[in-house]
Amino acid sequence: MASSYPPPFDDPVEVREGFLCPLCLKDLQSFYQLQAHYEEEHSSDDRDVKGQLRNLVQKARRAKEKLLKRDGDDRTDTGAQERYESFSYGGVDPYMWEPQELGAMRSHLSDFKKHRAARIDHYVVEVNKLIIRLEKLTSFDRTNTESTKIRAIEKSVVPWVNDQDVPFCPDCGNRFSIRNRRHHCRLCGSIMCKKCLELLSLPLASKLTSASKEILASHTSPNSSPNSIPSSRRGSISSVSSMSSVLDEKDDDRIRCCGHCKDTLLKREQQIDEREFTPDIVKLYEKLRLCMEKVDQKAPEYIKMAESLNAGETTYNLEHANDLRVEVQKVYELIDALSKKILTLGLNEEPQPHPKTLQLQRMIRYSATLFVQEKLLGLMSLPTKDQYEQLKEKRKQEIDRKLYMERQATLETQRRLEEKQKDLSSRSIAAPNGEASYPKRGTVKKSEGWLPTSSISRQQEIGDPLLQQIDNITSFIKQAKAANRLDEVRMLQENLRQLQDEYDQQQTLKAIELSKRQAEEEEMQREQLQVLREKEWEREQHKAMFQHSRTRSLDFREMKPHQHESGEENPNQIARALDLDTTQIKSSPSSKTPSPAAVQQQVTQENSLFPIKPTEASQYIKETDQNQTMFLNPFEEEADTGLLKEGPVTTFAEDTSQMVSLSTKALHSSKKEYNPFEDDEEDQQTNGATICAPNPFEENGSPSQKSVNDQNSGNPFELSSTNPFEVDDNEILGEDVIEEELLLQQIDNIKAYIFDAKHSGRMDEVEVLTENLKELKRTLAKQKEKCN
Amino acid sequence: MNVVFAVKQYVSKMIEDSGPGMKVLLMDKETTSIVSMVYTQSEILQKEVYLFERIDSLNRETMKHLKAICFLRPTKENVEYLIQELRRPKYSIYYIYFSNVISKSDVKSLAEADEQEVVAEVQEFYGDYIAVNPHVFSLNLLGCCQGRSWDLAQLSRTAQGLTALLLSLKKCPMIRYQLSSDPAKRLAECVKQVITKEYELFDFRRTEVPPLLLILDRSDDAITPLLNQWTYQAMVHELLGINNNRIDLSRVPGISKDLREVVLSAENDEFYANNMYLNFAEIGSNIKNLMEDFQRRKPKEQQKLESIADMKAFVENYPQFKKMSGTVSKHVTVVGELSRLVGERNLLEVSEVEQELACQNDHSSAHQNVRRLLQNPRVTEFDATRLVMLYALHYERHSSNSLPGLMTDLRNRGVSEKHRKLVSAVVEYGGKRVRGSDLFSPKDAVAITKQFLKGLKGVENVYTQHQPFLHETLDQLIKGRLKDGQYPYLGPSTLRDRPQDIIVFIIGGATYEEALTVYNLNRTTPGVRIVLGGTTIHNTKSFLEEISASGFRGRGIESSQVPARSSSRR
Repeated sequence: MASSYPPPFDDPVEVREGFLCPLCLKDLQSFYQLQAHYEEEHSSDDRDVKGQLRNLVQKARRAKEKLLKRDGDDRTDTGAQERYESFSYGGVDPYMWEPQELGAMRSHLSDFKKHRAARIDHYVVEVNKLIIRLEKLTSFDRTNTESTKIRAIEKSVVPWVNDQDVPFCPDCGNRFSIRNRRHHCRLCGSIMCKKCLELLSLPLASKLTSASKEILASHTSPNSSPNSIPSSRRGSISSVSSMSSVLDEKDDDRIRCCGHCKDTLLKREQQIDEREFTPDIVKLYEKLRLCMEKVDQKAPEYIKMAESLNAGETTYNLEHANDLRVEVQKVYELIDALSKKILTLGLNEEPQPHPKTLQLQRMIRYSATLFVQEKLLGLMSLPTKDQYEQLKEKRKQEIDRKLYMERQATLETQRRLEEKQKDLSSRSIAAPNGEASYPKRGTVKKSEGWLPTSSISRQQEIGDPLLQQIDNITSFIKQAKAANRLDEVRMLQENLRQLQDEYDQQQTLKAIELSKRQAEEEEMQREQLQVLREKEWEREQHKAMFQHSRTRSLDFREMKPHQHESGEENPNQIARALDLDTTQIKSSPSSKTPSPAAVQQQVTQENSLFPIKPTEASQYIKETDQNQTMFLNPFEEEADTGLLKEGPVTTFAEDTSQMVSLSTKALHSSKKEYNPFEDDEEDQQTNGATICAPNPFEENGSPSQKSVNDQNSGNPFELSSTNPFEVDDNEILGEDVIEEELLLQQIDNIKAYIFDAKHSGRMDEVEVLTENLKELKRTLAKQKEKCN
Repeated sequence: MNVVFAVKQYVSKMIEDSGPGMKVLLMDKETTSIVSMVYTQSEILQKEVYLFERIDSLNRETMKHLKAICFLRPTKENVEYLIQELRRPKYSIYYIYFSNVISKSDVKSLAEADEQEVVAEVQEFYGDYIAVNPHVFSLNLLGCCQGRSWDLAQLSRTAQGLTALLLSLKKCPMIRYQLSSDPAKRLAECVKQVITKEYELFDFRRTEVPPLLLILDRSDDAITPLLNQWTYQAMVHELLGINNNRIDLSRVPGISKDLREVVLSAENDEFYANNMYLNFAEIGSNIKNLMEDFQRRKPKEQQKLESIADMKAFVENYPQFKKMSGTVSKHVTVVGELSRLVGERNLLEVSEVEQELACQNDHSSAHQNVRRLLQNPRVTEFDATRLVMLYALHYERHSSNSLPGLMTDLRNRGVSEKHRKLVSAVVEYGGKRVRGSDLFSPKDAVAITKQFLKGLKGVENVYTQHQPFLHETLDQLIKGRLKDGQYPYLGPSTLRDRPQDIIVFIIGGATYEEALTVYNLNRTTPGVRIVLGGTTIHNTKSFLEEISASGFRGRGIESSQVPARSSSRR
């Protein structure tokens, strides 16, 4: 039956799991093997793919921009979502309709219960009656009692139906005679023939009456009770042979009853069995669910811990987290094992389980696999002890620095006052501040590449107030040393360092300023270019107005203004830059192993290069508080300001963030060479080449084909005459000049309509018509202009 | 007003109400498709529903450790099956949900069968229609009418479907119907009757402007289902056929085994959701991006596989990676097949002439173009017939109508008798005589000038010029200008304000082109929400089947032409 269902419900027989190679779906046993396999088998063809791909990427980008007049923002790796969202009309998409409440419903349960109750009462009464009678019938010792006595007792339990009243067997309709004698049901007293007589074994009877466990245990299987019927034949045969009296016959361990009563009792028995019996699958399944619940409970807790630990915080204990991790992983293993066990339940038994049972087992296994896949992969790893120590150190430094900044800010103002007094000996504030230890600086100055002026220009411009201050403090230090006040010296040195950093920062800002200005200039040039292009386009558009573009195809590009492209560029880039920021946020906590550490290290390095002005410090701290998870990313600020500009600045923002993310790797395998600008150059190249190529499909017919052919033979992008979107740009239609006469005629018509409409008072129509009229007149004027 | 969500909510509620434990979902044929349109297997598995059974299946095993959720239509057979089931219960406990109103007597007989007290819930959940898109539903009924009147069984099913829709959206609407159509009036009355009878159910919180149900008849616009389509969803349906979101690709040459049948569901296929309303050109470029994305991922992954950490990241991305590869191959295959068919059947040229026939009023050029295509051997029999049909519908009463000539051409081309008969059947079904409104020539001055200006500017896109007639109807409805004469209200009260929530239902089936139109109307007119429904969703093939199933056989050769005045005013 399952095959007739729609596919969402089809059997997941084809599901494979484990470490499958994504290219050839070969099943490998572990990470390492998969890795080795990947390197061996696919390194060569991937290089191939890579080359093809680059080709394709460039061409497709060009094609897309030509075809859709959209800025292709697929440089970033933000996933597929953003990419394919392509058109919006405004208004509301049906998917976005406001949430609705659950639809109407109506319950029939009370009605149902009412009807059922009546029925059930009847049924329960009947069953209970039978059970009570059964109890009476089995309460005495049958084997040691005389048959006549038994009969008397039996007769007393239920009044027997009179023999004369029943000439035929009510079940089979045979006439009773000497040979075909009447038998009474001991439970309800009704009469039937021998054939229709049923027998109830004593163990079953006692099971029904007591329903106790010992008896259940002695009673081998629920199925054996119906089997007792054929064995009872023996008794009846013997009874036939002893013709004395069937009624006197002693059926020691059986109670005679009719089919109806037996049915009812058997049903009852089944119910008892079900109540007692839980199949293996249920036990296993319950365990499985328990494990799943545990995971649902523990995993978030663990993730919280891991995040915190990876950030170098000391809220949680690393060992504790490790334990938890092991625990959660164990639960996952348990889930896996349990579901596997469920899958193989009963497979080895001789009568194979029902196909539906097997299907159920398969489905449970499948859903457990899905569960593990979804949850386990989200489980991030913990730092090792050493790494954690490092992280802690980093964080401590960070916090210390923040504290220090705050103090520094107050100190600064105080000191200014003091300086005015120029009184050295009166200074006593030093003591509390001196304890604040300034963090060690990163020794690597990565950013020097784009900060060429930072170190050189120090000696120049003595007029700078900062430099003056630096000089002052150096002299203070000398004096303090001379006076042998060591703690004060230390504090002053600290200050000095602070000031120097401040100065560096200033220089950095200047450099950035400079580059921004350059960018602005470039932007201006661009804009001018854009204006020119627009003018050209307008001219084209003007022409196009009069073309009856019948053969123009589904490609709308002629109709879409060029400015669209440039207009969208800005927000797109902003969006992209923002994206970068967010992805960064996401990526840093979620990436495994030491990456957060690396990022942080990087960040602190950068930070120490540009210490923040004390005046800005408080604001900065606020910001950093918000961005705790971001590890005080200094680039965010820069990226934000950079957004407002275009061109180099944005790419700069992108580069830096790339750097941050890539630095993860850089730290891990520090010797590795990479160039963040490589990709970028490529992108710019493609960007530059976008504007003029007329037909996007023309150029890339073959590469795209290549890329598809491993997928399928049918290539949608094949360049052939069948392609609806191939635009014959060469085929310029002769200008289909609309005949003036026709226009005039139409104008007359409309005038008449207007008149008519006015008469009948349809004012809204008049309005529309006048508008139409105006438009027509305008067209006419243009027409004339052209003719002239 | 989101119909997919409405049904989904019902199903979720059922599953939730049954509590934890292994479950089996017991359905009938129709509810199976209803549920499968809104839930995927993996989604429903997560809610512990492991088995899906048909109530009429004989092969079910007793599994007392399962809870059964029964979602059934309240038909006689289903009630009977359920009674049998309850007498000898196969599962431990039963939660019973009917997809529509069930009679008291049926409830009683069910209750009496439940001697073992296994039933824990009996409810009506009104998910009694196929939710195709958030704003589109269907009943999957083919051949709903016989001639011009309802097949009674279908009428009651349609009325049930419509009232279930209203209940699931909690709308108690005013009803308008197309005066020229008798079935529309009948259906309107039936719906009204149910609303009156079940007034307690329809007692919803009043909104400021009451919702509106507009009932139309397909025969008023026989053009739309005859056209080739160029937007993704519509095109796939026209060329490959969509059946409950499934597409049969088994006839595609060289198809791989796992792509024989693919599922296109906007609910869990992001690419499809974002592209279903885009035209073929845009899909071409988007699918290229998809592939690019896919292929870029590969080398990147490879490049990164240098440390254990990278490996972990790789495995982390792997599920998405795998999912994506499925999406890529699926859409590449589908679009590739579409592209192949377009080439093979010369559909560009055909579609251009179709659009001319549907949208312009130039008889001689149209006639010439049709004749030209009839000579073209690459044009299939099917497409040739549909061109002649469009011609016959448009120029039915044109003074220089030369349909007999075209019919002869068709015969000379070797087009089968069956197809040729369909031409006159279509005219009989949706010709001028039956139409309540004028499909081709604009009615009022505004529309005329609009059309004139359109001609002046040139059409943006020659393949998508056609706007379904439904667009104009709805546009007027939204603006409050739809004429009461043509679309009267059922009952005395009328709507004074402009309608906000509109449910439009087309007897004889809607099309995906109309779905797109409604989608666009929803997006462009804030404050208005429109849901489109039909007895089914047609492509040309199913539309023609519907016509023959309705008993329009057509005459052998079009002989008696009504000599008539020109239908075009200019």
